[in-house]
Amino acid sequence: MNKQRKNSIVARLWTDRWIYIFLLPTVALIGTFTVYPVVASVWYSLLDWNGFGDPGAFIGLDNYRDLWNDPLFWNSFKNTLVFLVFAVPLRVGLALVLAVILNGVFPFVRLFRTGIFLPVVTTAAIVGVVMRYILDPTGGPINFAILETGIVDQPVNFLGSASLALYSAVGIWVWKWLGITVIYWMAALQTIPRDVYEAAELDGANAVQKFFRVTLPILTPFTLIITLITVIEATNVFDLMLTLTGGGPFYSTEVIDIFVYRHAFTSNIPRLGYASAAAIFFAAAVTLVAAVQIFLVTRIRKWRKL
Amino acid sequence: MIGRRLNLWTTLRILALAALVLVWCYPFAWLISASLKGQQEIFSKGLNLIPEELLIENYMRAWGAAGFDNYMLNTALVTIGTVVLVVFHSALSGYVLGRFQFIGRNLVVGVLAATLVVPVGLTIIPIVDFASALGLTSSRLGIILALSGSGQAAAILLYAGYFRGLPNELAESAQLDGAGFFRTFFSVMLPLAGPVTATVSVLTFLTAWNSFLIPLVFTFGSPELRTLPVGMLAFVGSNETDWSGMAAAATISLLPVVVFFFFMQRYFVEGIAGAVKQ
Amino acid sequence: MSNQNKQIKLSRRAVLAGSGASALMAGMNPMIAFSQDLPTLMWWDIYQPLIPLHQKIWDSFAASGQAKVEYTAANPASFMQSLQLAFRSGELPDVLNIPNATPAQIVSLQEAGWFAPLSDVSFDKPFQKAVDAEGFTTFGGDLFSFPIFSPRWHFASVWYDNEVVTDGSSLGTWDGVRTAAKEATSGERYGLLLPLQFGPRMRDTLIDLAMAAGSPGTIDWATGEYAYASDHFVEALEFLLSFQKDGSLHPASSAVDARQGRARWAAGEAALFFDGPWNSGVLKGNFPDMLAKTGVSGIPTPGGNTAIINRGPITGTFWVSSQSKNPELASKLLSELTTDDYYIGLAERMDQPPLDLSAVGRANVHPTYKQIVDEFTQTVFLAPDPLLRNPAIANVYSKMRDVTPGLGEIIQGAFAGAFDDPKPILQQLSDSMSRERERAINAARDEGAEVSVDDWVFADWTRGKDYAG
Repeated sequence: MNKQRKNSIVARLWTDRWIYIFLLPTVALIGTFTVYPVVASVWYSLLDWNGFGDPGAFIGLDNYRDLWNDPLFWNSFKNTLVFLVFAVPLRVGLALVLAVILNGVFPFVRLFRTGIFLPVVTTAAIVGVVMRYILDPTGGPINFAILETGIVDQPVNFLGSASLALYSAVGIWVWKWLGITVIYWMAALQTIPRDVYEAAELDGANAVQKFFRVTLPILTPFTLIITLITVIEATNVFDLMLTLTGGGPFYSTEVIDIFVYRHAFTSNIPRLGYASAAAIFFAAAVTLVAAVQIFLVTRIRKWRKL
Repeated sequence: MIGRRLNLWTTLRILALAALVLVWCYPFAWLISASLKGQQEIFSKGLNLIPEELLIENYMRAWGAAGFDNYMLNTALVTIGTVVLVVFHSALSGYVLGRFQFIGRNLVVGVLAATLVVPVGLTIIPIVDFASALGLTSSRLGIILALSGSGQAAAILLYAGYFRGLPNELAESAQLDGAGFFRTFFSVMLPLAGPVTATVSVLTFLTAWNSFLIPLVFTFGSPELRTLPVGMLAFVGSNETDWSGMAAAATISLLPVVVFFFFMQRYFVEGIAGAVKQ
Repeated sequence: MSNQNKQIKLSRRAVLAGSGASALMAGMNPMIAFSQDLPTLMWWDIYQPLIPLHQKIWDSFAASGQAKVEYTAANPASFMQSLQLAFRSGELPDVLNIPNATPAQIVSLQEAGWFAPLSDVSFDKPFQKAVDAEGFTTFGGDLFSFPIFSPRWHFASVWYDNEVVTDGSSLGTWDGVRTAAKEATSGERYGLLLPLQFGPRMRDTLIDLAMAAGSPGTIDWATGEYAYASDHFVEALEFLLSFQKDGSLHPASSAVDARQGRARWAAGEAALFFDGPWNSGVLKGNFPDMLAKTGVSGIPTPGGNTAIINRGPITGTFWVSSQSKNPELASKLLSELTTDDYYIGLAERMDQPPLDLSAVGRANVHPTYKQIVDEFTQTVFLAPDPLLRNPAIANVYSKMRDVTPGLGEIIQGAFAGAFDDPKPILQQLSDSMSRERERAINAARDEGAEVSVDDWVFADWTRGKDYAG
C-alpha cells in the first residue's frame, strides 16, 4: 500500500519531468541569488559579527533582543510606516487621475507620457543629486519661486529640517515613481470594454457619473493589486534616500533600509548580525501586511464571482 | 455642438498636461543646462536655464576622459544579457506554474511571493561570498546571472497569470497535431505571450540599466567592466567638484533609456494591459 | 582615469618595442623585461590631492621594471563598504588606506586578517620612531604600516574671504568670529557655512573647538571618564548654534558635505569656513582664484588665548592587504613614502601636514599653509591612548560597538531642531559610551585579557605638554 503510493509519486514526478526541467533555470538562479542570501541572512542574524572577517560568535537571539530595545530601530520602523501612509495613497491616487487624463488618443500624448515617465528611468543617485539642488534653500529654483511669489518670507529648508525632511522625501519619491503607476492604471483602464461606457451613455450618464458608476467599480481589484505593488516598492527606497538625505538630519529620514545599511556598512565597527536581524524582522512584518492584502484581494475576487 | 465641446476638452487637457509636464521635467532641464554650464555658473541663483555659453567640452570630458564610452558598452551588454535571461527563465517557469498542477508547486509559488519583500542591501554579502566562490566576480556573465536571479518574482508571476488565462483548446489542438510539451510551449504558447514578454523586457531593462549594487561589487577588481551607474560614482569620487562634468555624465547615461521608452511605451502599456486582463 | 590611460599607452608602446627587440636579444635590456609582463599593483585611497605626487613614484617604479600601479580614487563616504565587499570577494587591492581610521577599527581589521606585514621598510629616523607603536603601526613586533602625515594638525582653522573680512586678527575669539559672520551677512552672502551633512567632520570640528575651550578631549585623562557632557562641549556646540540664531549661517549648511560646502564658500556664498589644512591644497587645485583672496586664522578660543589641542597617537596611512599577490613589491613601493623628498613633496600638495613637519619649511607652499602649520606646532600636543600603555586593550577595542546617536548626529539634530536642549543628549552619549566600554572590558576579561577602566586613567598627563608615556 505504502509502496504503491510511493511508486505513484515517483511515477507522477516522472510524467511531470518536463515541468521540472522548465523550472530548473529559475530555481537555480533565484535559489542562488535570492533564496540562499536570505537564508544566510537569517543565520547571520544569530551572530555577533562585525563583517570584517570570518563569521563571528553565535549569540542566539541577542541581536533581536537588542533590536527590541533600540529606540532608533523603532524610529526607523516608524519612519517607514509614515512614509508608506503618506506616499502610497498619494502615488496611487495621483496616478489614477493622470491615467484617466492621459488615456486616449490626442495630440502630443506620447510626449506627455514620456515626460511623466522620465523620472522613472532615471538612476536614483542622479535624482538625489539633482533634487538636492532643486530644493536648496538659497540657490534652488523652488525656494526662489515661493520666495518671489511671497508664499513664504524665509527660505524653506526642505531637506535640512527634521520635521520636513521625511515629507520632502515622500514628495520626491512620488514624483520619481508616479509614471510607472500611471502606466499600471492606463493598462487597467484599457481592460474596460467600450460597450460598458456606451450602455452608460444610453442611460444618460455624464463623464463624472461614468467615472464613479462604471470606471471605479471595475477598477477595484486593480486598486488592490496596484496598492500592493506600491507598498512593496515603498519599503524599498534605499538608493533614493541614501543620496537624498542619507537618513538625516538626526535620523528623521532613516527608514529601515538605511538603518540596516548603517549598521552593516557605514559604522566604524559594523554589526552585520544586528543589521541582518533588523532586515529579517522588517521583512517578516511586510510579508504579514502583504499576506493580509493578498487575502483581501482573493476574498474580493471570490465575492465578485458569486 | 458635441464636437466643439470635445475639442474644448481636448485643448484644455493638452494645455493642463503641457503645464504639468513642464514643471515635472524641470529638474531634467536643469540637469541638461548644468551640463552645459561652467563650474561657478551652476551655483548662481535663479531659474535661468540658458547657459552664458555652451560648454560642450563637459561632454567630451565625461565621454572620453572618464571612460563613459566603455561604461556605456558594458551597461548595454549587461542589460541585454539580463533581459534575455530573465525572459527565458521566467517564461519557462511562469508557463508551468500557470498551467500545471504538480508536486511542489505551492512551495515554489510561496517562496517566489516571499522574495518580493527581500531588502536588496542585505543580501549583498552572501551574494558576494557565493559569487566569488564560483569565480563569477569580475565578469559580465557574473553580473548578468546575479541580476537575473535577484528579485525576478514579479516577472514570473506576470507570465504565470497570462499563461493561466490562455484557453485550453490551443494547447489541446497543438497536442493533437503531435506537438510535445517542449514544442507546444515554444511554437504555440510563447509567441502568444508577446505582450507579457514586452512588459517583462521593459521592466527588466529599466532595473538592469539602473542597477547599482551588484555591478559595483562584481567589478571591484576590474574597473574596465564598470557600468554607467557605477562609473557615475567613480566620476564623483575622482572629480570632487566637477559638477558640470557630472551633469553631462548623467545626461549621457539617461539618453538611451529615454529614447527606449519613447518608442517602446505602446507595447509597454498594451503588455501590462494584456497581462492584467487575465 | 587619465592616469590609467597613460599607463596602458605606456605599456603598449613598451610591448611594441619589446616584440621588435626580443628577436635580437631577449632579456638583455631591462626596459624589455619590464615591458613584457610587469606585475600590476592595485592601489585604492581617498587622497586625490596626492595623486600627482604619487604618480611620479608609480611611474618611476614602473620605469625601473618593478611593477605598474593601477590607481582607483575612492569616495570617503562609501569607501569602507567597498573595502568590506572587496575583502569578501578576495579582491582587496594590494595597497589601501582605511578612511578616518580609529585605533579600534585598525585593531579589528588586523584581527580579521586584512593586512600583511611590510618587508624591508626602514622607518627609524627619530621622528619616525616616535610614531611607531604596537597596535598602531606594528603588530607582534612587525611593522605593518606607518603614517605619512603628522599627528599635529586640527580641523578647525577659520578660512575667510579677505575681501569681505578685511581684518583677520579679530577671528581669534569666538565672539570675534561671531561678529565677523554677522557683519559679513548681507544680500546673497552669509557669514558662515558648516558642512552639517558630513557628520564625522562636524564631530571632529566640535571636539577641536571643545578642546579650544579647555576640554582635554573626548576622554578626561585625569579620571578616565568620557567628557562629552562637559561644559566645554556644550559651550562649543552653543557657539556653533549661535550662527544659526544670528541668521549668519548659510541655510544650505544642513544639506552639504565638506566638498560641496567648500565649493559654495569658494563661490562667495559665505565669508567664513571651518576647515583643516588641506583647504590650501584643494583651493589651489580647484579654486585658484579663491586662494588668491583667502586668509586663514588659527582655531579660535572663547577668550582669545592660544588653544591647546590634544591628538592621540595615529595609525598607519597605507596598508598592504593580506590578499596581495605581491606583498614584497607593495612594501618596496611603500618604502618610497618615507624619504625626505617625499615629505617635501607631500608638504607641497598641501594636504594634512607631512610626518616630518620641518619639511614644510623647505617646501614651496602657499603662505596660508605655512601659517597654519606654524600654528599647529604651537597648539597641538600629543595625548595618551590606553592601547599604547596596555596592548591588551586591543581586545577591548575590537569588541566596542558604535554608540548612536553619535556626536556627529547630535550636532545635526541640534541644527535641525530635533531637540531644544543638547545637554541631556550629550549626557546620554557619555553614559552609553561608558556602558559600552564597560561591556567590552568585561567581554575581553572573559577571554582572559588583563584590562580595566583604570587603563583609561593617565594621572601623569598634563594639559599643554606632549605626553611621553
